[in-house]
Order: sequence, then structure tokens, then C-alpha cells
Amino acid sequence: MLEANNLRKNFGDVTAVDGISFKIDKGEIMGLIGQNGAGKTTTFRMILDLLTPDQGEVLWKGKRLTNKVFNQVGYLPEERGLYPKVSIEDQILYFAQLRGKSKKEIKPLIDDWLEKFDVKGKKGDKVKTLSKGNQQKVQLITTLIHQPELIILDEPFSGLDPVNAELLESGIKEAQANGASIIFSSHNMNNVEELCDSLIMLRDGNQILNGTVKEIREKFGRTKLFLESPLSLDELKQFPGVQSAVVNREGISVLQLSNAENGKAIFDAATAEGYIPTFSQQPPTLEEIFKRMVGEKNG
Amino acid sequence: MDKFWVITKEVYKKNVKSIGFLIMVLAPVLVAVVGIAVGYFISEDQKNAEPAPIAVISESSTIQEMLSQENEMYDVQDDIVTENAAEEALLDESIDGYLIISENAGVIKAEAVHTDSLTNVLPVLNEQLSNYQTLLRAGELNLSQEQVMSLSEPVMIEESIVNIEDGNLNEEENTDTFVQEFGAYFVSIAIFGFIMSYASIIAEEVASEKGTRIMEIILSSATATNHFFGKLAGVMLVLMTQITFYLIIGGAAYFIAKDMSFLQELTAGIDIWSVIQGLMGYTIVFFITGVLMYIILAAFLGSLASKMEDVNKAVTPIVFLALIGFYVGMFAFAAPENIVPVIFSYIPIFTPFVMPFRIASETVDTLGIWLSIFGTIAFTALLTYLSLIFYRANVLIYSDGGIIKSMKRSWGVLKSNRNAKKMNVNE
Repeated sequence: MLEANNLRKNFGDVTAVDGISFKIDKGEIMGLIGQNGAGKTTTFRMILDLLTPDQGEVLWKGKRLTNKVFNQVGYLPEERGLYPKVSIEDQILYFAQLRGKSKKEIKPLIDDWLEKFDVKGKKGDKVKTLSKGNQQKVQLITTLIHQPELIILDEPFSGLDPVNAELLESGIKEAQANGASIIFSSHNMNNVEELCDSLIMLRDGNQILNGTVKEIREKFGRTKLFLESPLSLDELKQFPGVQSAVVNREGISVLQLSNAENGKAIFDAATAEGYIPTFSQQPPTLEEIFKRMVGEKNG
Repeated sequence: MDKFWVITKEVYKKNVKSIGFLIMVLAPVLVAVVGIAVGYFISEDQKNAEPAPIAVISESSTIQEMLSQENEMYDVQDDIVTENAAEEALLDESIDGYLIISENAGVIKAEAVHTDSLTNVLPVLNEQLSNYQTLLRAGELNLSQEQVMSLSEPVMIEESIVNIEDGNLNEEENTDTFVQEFGAYFVSIAIFGFIMSYASIIAEEVASEKGTRIMEIILSSATATNHFFGKLAGVMLVLMTQITFYLIIGGAAYFIAKDMSFLQELTAGIDIWSVIQGLMGYTIVFFITGVLMYIILAAFLGSLASKMEDVNKAVTPIVFLALIGFYVGMFAFAAPENIVPVIFSYIPIFTPFVMPFRIASETVDTLGIWLSIFGTIAFTALLTYLSLIFYRANVLIYSDGGIIKSMKRSWGVLKSNRNAKKMNVNE
């Protein structure tokens, strides 16, 4: 549905985005991760036709994305903004009208949405009387209520407590079930792992990772080993390929291997006397990958 | 087009419902009401003023009698006949002053002792005594009544006011100039007032949406063109609401008050309808283009501000331009043929302030008027076009470095987008 081909954008001498490509199908969620200044917002703005790419193109349903399809878009900018002196209802209606909906269509839906996101406040209340979290939820409603087919969320989880984050997650999943193509950026890798079908990671405008969460993690190999066995930490450290070994709070030994193959020898030794409760060889988590990739640049 | 109206309606509703709008609309009415009320009380006060009590001490009974005749200005207290009594009466404030008048061989001498409150009355007394002296001397010279009349007959001056055009003297109607000058003056003040209020309204509209990042949502919903013109139309509608309100209030006040004697005195010699006619025509063209021009400029400058707090800084150039225009206009009022107003009247951004005064003083020909009108309209169109081009880039630029820096960065984005579009076309 949404396709970006080799997007590139320069501002003067600075290359903000350099050669980004991805594809999001109907009902698919893509995560965009990267540090601040990696080019996420510029990418979003190019998708939204607010900026014209120097190179490459954005296609929506096979055609270049222009303002003609604005009505199908739901966009939550990174810094939230609502009119402070306008009532919740008027605010939602105004943005919905800008997306081509009529007041009549949207008005009956407002109560349900406010309930769904558990917004504390009446729809006649002015936005400025709401707490920050509730304002954020109102903003989410304005992003989603017109049933957009393309949803772009810039840091939707920032500033939400776990309960509200879960409400948002279910909101995103519901939109996905309705067939929307969704792209969101996040610093929180847990959200990304839980929600995303695919993700891309940006560093200094370059796309350094691309694929499904599983693919990306597997690419780094199952180099992490969780083990509960009769073997002591010192014994474990003697195996070839063990870079580090620690015991975590639950009493489980956590080993970092240089190669997934090294796990086999440890498995044989650990199970020499039969049953052990834990042997789990895992690829690194997204968070670890993220830190490692960022570290590579800094190091 | 639909979204244009959605934005227009939103801007209109939000502003008209605000308390600020109510204050802005009512403040001038309040000032006018207070002004009229003060004028009313002053005129009532003068009307009801009691004649000033005075005493006249004179050996001539003719003079006594003449001054004792009832009149509005003073009231001679017949019972005070000596200087001492008069002085006492003045001391206990039962009179405002006294005159000691003597007559000797046709020469009248008078000495007046009085408080401040009698200052206005003295010229009247002086005139009466002078007339009497003239009569006395005429009697001495054996002049008849007709002869006296013919002696004191004033000279009649018949005036015709002309202006010099193409070496000819053309007679002009006096009232017309007055009405037109009044119209020009009125337009100058009105443009200035409306610009001051509405420039900051639209600049705040734009800057607040930019500052709160609502702009990004809007620009991913509607085109920048729709947004820009929607804002303009919304604000212009608010302005029209204000003017309509004044027209209704003014009309109602006129029909209610037109029979009140005090207002008739106030507007004596002014034909209300010819004033209104004077305001129509060129004046209204300059009013509309003037306000529009400055509001577009304000929207543009507002789009350069990064947040609400910067709005005042952003609209400063407008305040300066309008002030310059306003003062040159006032200068043109006094010296319409001076080179400065003449030049300024053709600079589009100042034309609406200056040209009406030149038209009123008839120091510009029809060609000049149309040139300046064409100039302002062309300039407004150009300004709109440029603002619109920049607007799209401006609203995505956030900079702490002030207007100039914002404009530079905006220009960078603009160039980058344009080059990109060109490249895409060439591909």
C-alpha cells in the first residue's frame, strides 16, 4: 500500500535522509527507530508531501502520494498540539472536517472514542483543562476517528503511563484490524517488538536495518544464552566463545557468546547428567541491537 | 474548497466568540458614548448657566437702564448703588463683579472689578458700552439714524475658493473639500486602527498553530493555499462583522438622536449624507486594499515566528510601516503638495494612508489616482503570491534566531523543494 523508494533529502550541505526504502502492506505496522536527529521526522514529512524528496518517491496504492489522498491520512506529530481554548468535541470535529468528514458523521462517534481511550473529562470541556495525558489521548482520537487508511504516528507512546500505553496499543491494533497501513516511530523498543510487523532503523539519515523484528534479531545470531544448570560461572567461562557470563537476579546464568555455534558444547556439558530447567539461546533484543548499532557509530 | 470553508469558519467562530473581540468592538463605541455624553453635559451646563450677578455704579441713569435690561449673560443687581456696597457684595460672593461707569462729554469710562467667572461677560459689556458711546457722539454730531447705520456698516466679502489646475482657476465647492478631508482623515485612522488590531490577530492565529504543531496536522489535511486563504477570509469576515456592527449602531444612533437639539448644534453645517458619499468611492478602495495588504503581510510574518511569544517581534515591521504611513498621511493633510507625500502616495504600502489626503486637497489628477490604485492592487497580489510561496516552507521552520534567520532557512527549504520538483520532472 505505502511504498517508499530510495528517499533522499538534503538541506544545503546536510543530508537529512539518504536512501530510505520500505513497503507497508494493508493491515501492516512498521516501526521506525533511530536516535533523535536520525531523519525520522524528515521521512514522515516526505511521506506526507510536506517536503519534496530530492530523489526517490513515495507511492500510495501505486500512485504518487499527493494532497489528494490527505483524507485517508491520520497523522500524530511528535510534539502534540491542540487549541487550548476549544472544547474537546469541537476540536475533534474540526480535525475530522479537515479530513473530509462531516460533523454529522463524526458527532455520534465521539462518546464511544472518549470512552475507549478512557479520557477523563466531558466533551464540552476546554482542552486546556485536561491533564497532559488526557490531551494526548484526545489528540490520538483526532488522529484515528476518521478511520484513516494510512496512519503515521511520531513517538505516540512518549509520555504515556503503562495503562494508557496499553490503550494506545489496542487502538493501533484495532486500526490494523480495519486494514490500515501504520507507521510509527518510537524510542521504546518493547512497543516496537510487540506491535511491529516490520521495522527500519535509521542512523544519520541512513537505513541501517530493515526487515521483520524476527529477521533482524535472527540476523544477529542466537548469541545470548540463558542457563540454569549444575555448571558454575567459572566453569562456564572456560568454554570457547564465551565473552561474558553473569548470574542475574533470578539465579539464571546469562552468557554472551561470540557465535551461536558455541552453544552446542555448553548444552552437551550442561545436560550431561540429564534434566536442567533452563537452556534458552536467544538473539539479542531490539534494545540491545539498537544500543549496539548506536554504539558502533560512537565507538 | 470545502476545507477552505472549514478553516474560514473555524477562524471566524473562534475569534468572534472570544472576549478579546467583544472588548475590541465595544471599546470605540464606549469612547464615542463617553465623548458624546461629555459634550452633552457641557452644552447643557452652558444652557442652564444663570446670568452672572453684577453691580453697576453709574451716575447716568441711561446707562443703568440700558445694562439692567434682562439678558442671558449677566444680571445687574439694582439694589447695589455705591462702590462700598458693591465691594461688600463681591466679598460675600453675592456678585461676580462690579463696574464703575462715568460719562463725560461723550466719553465713557469704565472700571471693572471682578472675579474670573466674569471674564466671558466683559466683552459683551464692552460692546454695549461702545455702541452707546457711538450713539452719544452721533448725537453730538447731529447725525441721523441712517447716517449712523451707514457708518457702522461692515464690509461684505464675497469669497470663491479656487484651485489651480493646468493654468486655470477652477472654483471648488467649499463643503466638498471639507467632507473629503474628513473622509481621508477618517480612513487614515480607521486603517491604522484596524491594522493594529487585525495584524496581530492573524499573526497570532498562524504563529500559535505553528508553535503548537497543529500546523503539521493541518498541512497534512489541507493544502497550504487553502489554509492561508482560509485564515485570511476568516479574519476578514471578523473585520466585516465589526464594521457591520458599527454601521448598525451608527445608523440606529443617528435615527434616534437626529432630533435631539444638542446633536443638531454639534453637526450644524455638516450634511451627513455628503459625508457618507465622501467615504464611498476611492476612499473605500484604499481602505480595503490597505487593510488587506497589511493583513497578508501579517500572516506572512506570523508564519515566520516559531512560537506565540515571538509574534510581537514578528509584527514589529508592520507597526513601523503603518506608523510611517500614518504620519506621512498627517503631513499630506497639512502640505499635500510637498514632495514627500507626493512620492509616498505612489509607494503601494503607504498609498492608502497618503493618497486620500491628496485626493481631498485635489492635488492629484485622475490618472495619478488610478495609477496608485492599480499599484496597490498589483502590489497586494504580488505580496499574496510571495507570502503563499514562502508560507509552505515557513511553517515547517523552527528557529530561535529571529525573523531574518527564519527567512533564510525558509528560503533554503523552498529552494530545496523546488530543485527536487524540477529534478523529479526531468526524471
